[in-house]
Amino acid sequence: MKKLVHLTVLLIALLVLGLFAGCSSNEPGGENNAAAKEDFSIKIGGSSTLAPIIAQCADQFTEEYKTWDKVDANLSEEPIVIFVSTGGSGFGLKSALDGTFDFGMVSKTLKDEEKEQFADGTITQIGSDVLVIGVNADNPVAQVKPDMSTEDLVAIFSGQVKNWKEVDPSLPDRPIVVAVRDLGGGASEVFDNAIMKGTPISDQALQIPSMGALAGKIMDNTDTIGYVSSGLVNQNPDKIIPISVDGISPTLENINSGAYKVGRPLLLVSKDAPNDREQKFLDYLLSETGLKVVEEMGYIPVAR
Amino acid sequence: MPKKRVIAIDRSNKEWKEKIISSIIIATATVSSLLLLAMLLFILKESWPVWSQIGISSFLSGASWRPLGSPPQIGILSMIVSTLWVAGGALLIATPLGFACAIFLAEFAPPLLAAVLRPVVNILTGIPSVVYGFLGAAVLVKFFEVKFDLASGESLFAASLILAIMVIPFIVTNSEAALRSVPLEYRYAAMALGVSRQHLAMKILVPLARKGMLGALALAFGRSMGETMAVLMLAGNILRLPMSWFAKGEPLPALIALELGSTTPGSLHYQALFAAGLVLVLMVMTVNLGINILLYRLQKGGHTI
Repeated sequence: MKKLVHLTVLLIALLVLGLFAGCSSNEPGGENNAAAKEDFSIKIGGSSTLAPIIAQCADQFTEEYKTWDKVDANLSEEPIVIFVSTGGSGFGLKSALDGTFDFGMVSKTLKDEEKEQFADGTITQIGSDVLVIGVNADNPVAQVKPDMSTEDLVAIFSGQVKNWKEVDPSLPDRPIVVAVRDLGGGASEVFDNAIMKGTPISDQALQIPSMGALAGKIMDNTDTIGYVSSGLVNQNPDKIIPISVDGISPTLENINSGAYKVGRPLLLVSKDAPNDREQKFLDYLLSETGLKVVEEMGYIPVAR
Repeated sequence: MPKKRVIAIDRSNKEWKEKIISSIIIATATVSSLLLLAMLLFILKESWPVWSQIGISSFLSGASWRPLGSPPQIGILSMIVSTLWVAGGALLIATPLGFACAIFLAEFAPPLLAAVLRPVVNILTGIPSVVYGFLGAAVLVKFFEVKFDLASGESLFAASLILAIMVIPFIVTNSEAALRSVPLEYRYAAMALGVSRQHLAMKILVPLARKGMLGALALAFGRSMGETMAVLMLAGNILRLPMSWFAKGEPLPALIALELGSTTPGSLHYQALFAAGLVLVLMVMTVNLGINILLYRLQKGGHTI
């Protein structure tokens, strides 16, 4: 009984302490900032698409070198610490500008005025996320109409055309199931910029919570059409059939030459010119090992 | 004489301890209710621009959700309706099964069978909801597509089915506890009168335990309204107002889970999702409050324990 009381008191004390600690760290404290000046860590934040790639690279980088002097003899013998956190592309841009992060991760095409804000710093592309419009392998549209015009796609995704028969008379009389990612997310923004150009997506479109599930839906359901990350199409070559857009198929050449337009760059931005440590990590990302991670995660690495 | 004194000291010691423990408990309760209040205030603060600029009625009754369109349209009527369909439907399926199971376990099950069934039901509560959702997406959706030749098998009904399986254990456990807590005198009296076991269970025990059983329902309803993962994977997430149980829809938790990750903090979209969260919290609280008021009325009305 006595023990129980002690334990409870201890727990409450911890709880109260925790609350106070929580409060004090929110205050704009002078001490914390002073400590941060001596901080050798690299802080990176932003797009949730890029985060797994950068986190993986950061892990490998830290495992391989452990301290900075092993990366480059000129650097001090500090342990390598790289923080990666997510919060979306917009958050990445904002936090890179206000100095919360050394690098912001951004997975969208930057507007000119956004590029200007980083004129003193760097904008580094490490790869692209390409969306492929795919259909189920058992859907005859893969043979009948493997190439669609932008207008066809807009009609299908906006819900004006609801039946496969309307796409081509030789197709079966079945409803078209349109599968998209969450409206407002990065992928749907890319699709809107490249194809829809502001035409709203049909309100009958299924919003699927992840790319993997969207690919799964296309593979499971013969009537589905949707956009998928290129990596997932490459992993399932016989199950998802890519549809060309205006005669341009999503091949590696077309993607790298910029002819295939349904995609977005994966960028790291910084407000100031990177210091030696940051530059070393950037170099690592753009090295063969770094770009291999980009490819393994299902994205197209930037051409070296 | 000395002995007596020891006892007296012991007693004051005990009182002292009790005071400490009760003040700890009171402190914990206060902190947790303050946390709830702080959470509500935070959500209200984050969503304030939505309430002040768009207005409560047009936010709640607008059926069009295009937070990124120009001009942005944010109305969550179809999400509210979807939430009610899904949660109400789940209860429609789960209530009869759950109550029947509870009565069976409490009154009719042979001890051996009950000893096996009870832990199984309890384990069901511990299965993560994402597993249920995954099962539903892999099995149920496919089943609907093949069996009924639907273009796509997601529907509010599919989500309700899985939710029903998820909340049945809550209903069973809590209702059984309520049935068991009926004082033995009632049982003895019934036996002395020679009524059948069926009569004892249905006409005497269930009416006496209805308070606890209704409480179980409130818990189940709250849980099924707030459940996210399973619903996100099964409801189809389309933005159209669902006109039937078998249509697709996007319940509030699914909307928030799907979109919050890609919003910019401080944008209208972000604030609108917080507003949707506030609506969800208030819906769950209203249901709980409503049930509590009902219980209070019932108690005042008469024959309960």
